[in-house]
Amino acid sequence: MTELPSIRVGPSRSPASGPQEDKLPSSEPSVSDPAEVEATHGPSVFRVENLFFYYGDHLALRDITLDIRPREITSLIGPSGCGKTTFIRCLNRLNDLIPGTRLEGRVEFDGESLYGPDVRAIELRRRIGMVFQKPNPFPKSIYENVALAPRMNRMKGNLDDVVEESLVRAALWDEVKDKLRASAFSLSGGQQQRLCIARAIAVRPEVILMDEPCSALDPVATFRIEELMEDLKNDYTIVIVTHNMQQAARVSDRTAFFTVDTSQGGRTGVMVEIGATSKIFTAPSDQRTEDYITGRFG
Amino acid sequence: MTATAERATVPGPPSGLSARARRRSELTGRDVTVSAVLAVAAFVPAAALVWLTYEMAKQAYPAIVFNGWRFFTTKTFTLGNLYGGTPIVHHGYQAAHGAQYGVLPFLFGTVVSSAIAVVVAVPLSVGGALFLADRVPARLQGALGTFLEVLAGIPSVVFGLWGVFTFGPLMSRTGFKWLAALHIPWLSGSPGAGQGLLTASLVLAVMIIPIIASTTRELFRSVPPLTKEGAVALGLTPSETARHVTIPFVRTGILAATILGLGRALGETIAVLIISGNALNIYPHSIFDPFSTMAAGIAAILDGALTDSTGMALHALGEVGLVLLLVTLLANLGGRFLTRRFSVGGLPVGRGI
Amino acid sequence: MRRRRRFLDLTFWGLALLAFVCIALPSLSIVGSVIHQAVPVLGWSLFTQRTNALGIENAILGSLLLLVGVLVVAGTIGVAGGVYLAEFAPARLQRFLRFFSDVLAGMPSIVVGYIGYVTLVVAFHWGFSLLAAVVALSVLVLPYIVKTTEVSFRQVPTTLREAAAGLGLPRSKTVWRILLPPAASGVISGLIVALAISTGELAPLLFTAGFSDQNPTLQLLHHQVPYLTSVTFTDLALPGARAHATAAAAAAVSLAIVVILIAAGRLMTVRARRATRGMAL
Repeated sequence: MTELPSIRVGPSRSPASGPQEDKLPSSEPSVSDPAEVEATHGPSVFRVENLFFYYGDHLALRDITLDIRPREITSLIGPSGCGKTTFIRCLNRLNDLIPGTRLEGRVEFDGESLYGPDVRAIELRRRIGMVFQKPNPFPKSIYENVALAPRMNRMKGNLDDVVEESLVRAALWDEVKDKLRASAFSLSGGQQQRLCIARAIAVRPEVILMDEPCSALDPVATFRIEELMEDLKNDYTIVIVTHNMQQAARVSDRTAFFTVDTSQGGRTGVMVEIGATSKIFTAPSDQRTEDYITGRFG
Repeated sequence: MTATAERATVPGPPSGLSARARRRSELTGRDVTVSAVLAVAAFVPAAALVWLTYEMAKQAYPAIVFNGWRFFTTKTFTLGNLYGGTPIVHHGYQAAHGAQYGVLPFLFGTVVSSAIAVVVAVPLSVGGALFLADRVPARLQGALGTFLEVLAGIPSVVFGLWGVFTFGPLMSRTGFKWLAALHIPWLSGSPGAGQGLLTASLVLAVMIIPIIASTTRELFRSVPPLTKEGAVALGLTPSETARHVTIPFVRTGILAATILGLGRALGETIAVLIISGNALNIYPHSIFDPFSTMAAGIAAILDGALTDSTGMALHALGEVGLVLLLVTLLANLGGRFLTRRFSVGGLPVGRGI
Repeated sequence: MRRRRRFLDLTFWGLALLAFVCIALPSLSIVGSVIHQAVPVLGWSLFTQRTNALGIENAILGSLLLLVGVLVVAGTIGVAGGVYLAEFAPARLQRFLRFFSDVLAGMPSIVVGYIGYVTLVVAFHWGFSLLAAVVALSVLVLPYIVKTTEVSFRQVPTTLREAAAGLGLPRSKTVWRILLPPAASGVISGLIVALAISTGELAPLLFTAGFSDQNPTLQLLHHQVPYLTSVTFTDLALPGARAHATAAAAAAVSLAIVVILIAAGRLMTVRARRATRGMAL
């Protein structure tokens, strides 16, 4: 599968010349590359267009345009301070919790505007799970960590089943099934992070956002999480921020490279290119990407 | 391609949600209800402050009209003849025959006693805090924190009891006698039984020391070790490090803590009332003489003022209270102004703990 | 030269030690003298007799009743207000409310007593009463409770709020189910210390609570309430060693209550620290 890097917006991009054929007619002609996007995956899960993000007066992200496709792992890589984390938090409106932030541009989720005036962010976030940089289980039992949100959201089904299913899915069940009532803090860091994944799955989201989920974990725990992501990909769309290029190369289908731009004063995050992971890592179309990949910068 | 040109091409409505829209999108209907109920509670302190200030001004108003500027120039505060005589009428308000309302003696007592207390308390607090923070092993620090907290929590009536029965008599037999023997003007005279300006000021100092010392100790402990190590690396002795690095590092914080202590001293009622010798209308001719403060004066006279049929005595006390309120408010605002520049953080210690 | 610096160093720390002694000695003297003076009346009868029979039973009961009242009134309002400031209020409103609360914390207690008398006791016709006394005390400690509650909630790591938000949990449920448990120890410790402050107050009660030789009742209005600090204040002005001993005994009991409350508060603070320690920050 070959893809063109989509660096900037513009309908003038030539269609992808991949082995797949267009199965669906394009419904959103204004997007970078309808043929590419909808080749095998159906419509995009997220469609971000011309996103600008500000912390107060500081422009943190400039003109980001990209698509996130369903049932794929999209990784966001780049040097620290390039706005990867800020960007991923735009996808579930978590930045709204920070006073003084502002977003311009358009973000669509399942074809609907994410930042529309009638969208209820809290309801929306039930459809978009999130796993954070450091494991942050609630100060409660293992069981309660998973059961809390389904119970409060009044989800149907037997709670015990939901908990078991989520823990099995997060590859943690065998390790904790005998101590579900133990405090979540009694688990190791890697286990805690898998618990957080189980907690996110329990709400039955469509997407899982992962913000450097392995940055606080050792290599063995990291490996388990990566295995788990491979498995989750069959049912969920995953977006992962990582500063570990090998991880991005190992797990993701598509990779977006972000970098810091200082040309207009201040440190502003920009996206350099997005494309198939294999292409980004072997034949990037932008010199900056190549410099970063080969370790000359960052 | 400039950023502005880019933004102009954004399709669809702009997504820069207002803070209000954002809040709305973050809260469920139930959240809004809960938030509204909690908000009512959160407004109670503000409402209480406004209510207290308004009532105080309202109570004081007749006295303000009646007294005019004489309130700040009259050197006596007497309720007059509450049981006979023709009432005085001034600016349409009545007061008891022979009544004179002047805040000066109270103002004098408040300012002087608080000033002495602060002058005594600050060096002791800073020295003691320095000793506690730098010279006491870490495992005792917790216990010392509790000790200072308990000290700050001792009821003022207990300070009064101690001052009048133990500390005052002790000082009049020893320290005060020696001081009087030096025949320094205003610092001489008979210490008597040890009730008076100096005893009350010293007890006030003991009361505000824990407030200043505990804050200062926290400040000293918050000085980054690297800063101190830098000084030590230069070959400075521990005391030089303390004088040239540690203390300057937290100077503003100490000032803010001092003002909090001053606020407590200005408003202290009961301890002063018990120890002051409760002398109305006396300007102390010596530091050992009895005196009174605004707060203690209100507590002492309120009972009598209730029997004034013209009601002016109560209003005049209200005016004293208003002055006290404004003086304390100014001290607190000053403290806030300083703390904003150097944030102490943590809890308000104005109430003693 | 080296000698001189060494000498200065020793002098400096000597002075610091002296300052510490000047802080520690009075407190020891206070505790010692209060207990020493109370000795003549210390005994079981102190706790079983009322003030008309040289005991202080009614005053102890009254003081405890006032504490319960403060807990109910200032406790609920203060905790609710603190939670609002920490978790719900928009930033600008937060600054505004915090400012008023901080200023109220510096309010001289006699001003509260005066206003309590002219409004609650006289204008509202409540008379010297439990309710007037509780309201006056509550106004004094309210800012403290608001502050400690707010600080306790702020100390809960933001990552928990983000995790809850990421799951789409409503804010009120996040506060109640996820933030309250780790914040609880801090909130309770603040409440306890607020009670310690209330125990020692007299100025706001002098003209709102009145006094009575009878044991206090649950009547909110028109029934005067006896309390400990008042016994100390009145009896030390009376002639006679016996009265002075009773004054000291009442002082000793209030001091004991304060110490116990503060120690309990400290214990809760330690627990609070332990509760948030394991959490990711």
